[in-house]
Amino acid sequence: MNEVIEQAREIITGYKGREIRIMEVCGTHTHEIFRLGIRQLLPESIKLISGPGCPVCVTPVGYIDEAVMLSLERGCTICTFGDLIRVPGSEKSLAQARSEGADINMIYSPDDAVEMAKNFPDKQVVFLAVGFETTTPSACLAVKKAKKLGLENFSILTANKTMPNAYERLKHSADAFLYPGHVNAITGNAVCRKLCDEGVSGVVSGFTAAELMSALAVTIRMLEKGEPFFVNCYPRVVTEEGNIAAQKLMKEVMEECDTEWRGLGLIERSGQRLRKEYSDFDARIKYSLPEIKGHSNAACRCGEVLQGKCRPDECKLFGKVCTPLHPVGACMVSDEGACSAYYQYDR
Amino acid sequence: MNNTVTLAMGSGGVQTSELIDNIFKKNFSNPLLTSDDAAVIDFEGGRIAMTTDGFIVSPYEFAGGNIGKLSICGAVNDLACMGAEPLYLTCSFVIEEGFPLEKLEIIAGSMAETAKKAGVVIVAGDTKVAGKGQVDGVFITTTGVGRIADGISTSGAFARPGDKIIVTGDIGRHGCTILLSRESFGIDADVTSDCAPLWKNVKACLDAAKDIHVIRDATRGGVGTVLYEIASQSNVGIMLDSSKIPVADGVKGTCSLLGLEPLYLACEGRLVISAPADEADKIVEVLRAMPDSENAAVIGEVTDSDPGKVIMLTAIGAKTLLARPGGELLPRIC
Repeated sequence: MNEVIEQAREIITGYKGREIRIMEVCGTHTHEIFRLGIRQLLPESIKLISGPGCPVCVTPVGYIDEAVMLSLERGCTICTFGDLIRVPGSEKSLAQARSEGADINMIYSPDDAVEMAKNFPDKQVVFLAVGFETTTPSACLAVKKAKKLGLENFSILTANKTMPNAYERLKHSADAFLYPGHVNAITGNAVCRKLCDEGVSGVVSGFTAAELMSALAVTIRMLEKGEPFFVNCYPRVVTEEGNIAAQKLMKEVMEECDTEWRGLGLIERSGQRLRKEYSDFDARIKYSLPEIKGHSNAACRCGEVLQGKCRPDECKLFGKVCTPLHPVGACMVSDEGACSAYYQYDR
Repeated sequence: MNNTVTLAMGSGGVQTSELIDNIFKKNFSNPLLTSDDAAVIDFEGGRIAMTTDGFIVSPYEFAGGNIGKLSICGAVNDLACMGAEPLYLTCSFVIEEGFPLEKLEIIAGSMAETAKKAGVVIVAGDTKVAGKGQVDGVFITTTGVGRIADGISTSGAFARPGDKIIVTGDIGRHGCTILLSRESFGIDADVTSDCAPLWKNVKACLDAAKDIHVIRDATRGGVGTVLYEIASQSNVGIMLDSSKIPVADGVKGTCSLLGLEPLYLACEGRLVISAPADEADKIVEVLRAMPDSENAAVIGEVTDSDPGKVIMLTAIGAKTLLARPGGELLPRIC
């Protein structure tokens, strides 16, 4: 074990103060915390809450229904990140649509979708654009490229989200946020500093064992002091101003909108949609999609899980009807979802 | 279970087992059909092992091999896992109309070369041509027969508490290579497939240490899936030390970029061995002296606690369950 980990481990396991609640906002953090077994080291008085930072987990049911409709009823070729394929919609997932003949393709970059549209002019390609500030710039690039190439058979179905107003919504759910390193690498630290001025504490963390352990140790030490704080524990990647080129790109192609988060409901100005200049690439406009209100399983408690109000294993469906292979709620689908992590690592 | 076959059912994980149990095992069940890599059959004057394997990898050429080499390694290694010396193979081709003859020549050439290296003879074959679009390029199925020497008996059900778990080299290279060879990932990593016939390596282990309990081929589903199968078949626990698992830098980097676990990436030239602790060092020493297994290492041990589970000692000194993946990791890797 390296020295940094060892020191952090001592601080974490030796904590004897009042009960504290730390919310890790990023799905990758959730996954790594479980994979490394960090929760097992925590004393009773430190609670980690898995927040809403897994894009798959907060994507509403209605969005899946829109994608299924595009594929099965409008004959579109869907390109998507893999996790989304198994998320249940009101009636079916994209995986089920695919086995009924829908053309669903798993890709790793939005650019793959543009290439597909270019190479197969007969296909109407739709990229499912989900994700936070980390993935939105690549979707913007794809749209710009498609426009430059004059592609008329490429569009995106946006469900892109931004974190600032989600932090506002969740700021009373924990004593401190473990901010997502990759998001801050794009946005910079201004939002976190503003929250700190309002009394909301947090630490931005990287993703290795040493980075996560030391970020938690710093959080604990700072909470003991009692003053609101913000610390950048991921300085090798996160700068104060962030990635200005990516910020500009997002502003150029997208604009703010209100958006629904699965489990959290509507959060004002927390979504991104294409600007008017790019509306030819907006799948909702292009295929005149009706407004779809999705229906999720009423017993599913993903929403409460995302706010730290309920542990995954307190949900009636957990591990019985809802498993990673047959997920009911979105938090069970992605490896980064809290329910999936509980199921895979904590039983 | 779904009403139709899904890609996930072919990924080698839990859904593949479900498919096999619910359809094939139910219909074919007999004492010789087991979960091991090949069937062991008592025959006049000894025992033989028999196996069959289909290959549909896309792309059919990749860094470190092609579908032809893969099809020979697959059958040879399945036999080797039962301690059987591979003797005869048959191969069956389904070729798409329009497939370049020049490519077919290359594929057949690597099959011949690999068969020679493995000491096995191709004794029968079949060729079918399917219309354009009915298959993708070329699909190959190989069937192999091998002879098991007296006194050798390996099975996924024979792991015992106290055994050491050995891998015969750094893991996940084949799966990673296929992933990277698919277009436009935009990742530039120096990774080649581990695809190799391993009978000679197995023979050397069997000569050095007669008491080997389990040998398994870590193909589809990777080392992690094989370990879970061993834990379940032998009703034991397996404890891995994450710091001991050999992974090449290129594989490690690709996995961290794409959020993949190397333990679940396919290998086509890596075996998992479970052997008594006092034999383990000898086996590793023998393996390290041979080509295709220079990075062999002990990565963990078999325990009597946590039967059916694979536990990982992590970088922070905590013990966690090795997560079991569901769904499709990488379709068509072999």
